Amino acid sequence: MQRPSRPMKRRRVYVRRKVCRFCADKNLVMDYKDADLLRHFITEHGKILPRRITGTCAKHQRKLTTAIKNARIMALIPFTSDHALERRPPRR
Amino acid sequence: MKLRHYETLYLLHPDLNDEERQERADKLQKIITDDGGQIVKVDPWPLRKLAYRVQKQTQGWYVCMEYAAPASTIQELTRNMRLDESLMKFVTIKKDDTFDPAVLERAKQEAEAKAAQEAAEAESGETAEESADTANETADAGEDEGKE
Repeated sequence: MQRPSRPMKRRRVYVRRKVCRFCADKNLVMDYKDADLLRHFITEHGKILPRRITGTCAKHQRKLTTAIKNARIMALIPFTSDHALERRPPRR
Repeated sequence: MKLRHYETLYLLHPDLNDEERQERADKLQKIITDDGGQIVKVDPWPLRKLAYRVQKQTQGWYVCMEYAAPASTIQELTRNMRLDESLMKFVTIKKDDTFDPAVLERAKQEAEAKAAQEAAEAESGETAEESADTANETADAGEDEGKE
């Protein structure tokens, strides 16, 4: 087992530039009722993912936040995973 | 009076039966039409699991209602929805500041297309079920052989 001699510093991580899903697919409509779509843009804890992770453009991210918040109000997606029905309640 | 394009999604208590749900839908629609509004689409969803408990319930009936109404109607509609305790949650969205009557026409066409599709699916569904039954039978036969 030989380790490749590689300086640990200056290791560059190349990240492919992500394209906004809503710009790429014009037919994709932002809708607070579409819980399955919104699930792509929240963490497993229910937090809204930042643009730098999802690659969504600024314009669509603004709409996405309101859509997610409306969906939360309507109990379509959870506010936090602690309240979600699928998961076990937190240990006390 | 100027009409705007709105959409309301509301959540009903899971214990309500078909009649009680229809009653609520009619009542809300009447408020809109009485004020000079127009109903574009009413889309009741099947019983759905909630993301979190609401009034200790884990499921609920969602109904999505799309309509054109003057701005003052929303206040009245919201007041009525708040009064009804079996209506657990609701949200009203303004889709557009103006209402284009062409939307009404499009919704009608879509509803017709959907009805036609469902009718076709119901027919093909029957045949699909039959073939599924035969598939099950063959699977069962295979299992028996394996045991022996």
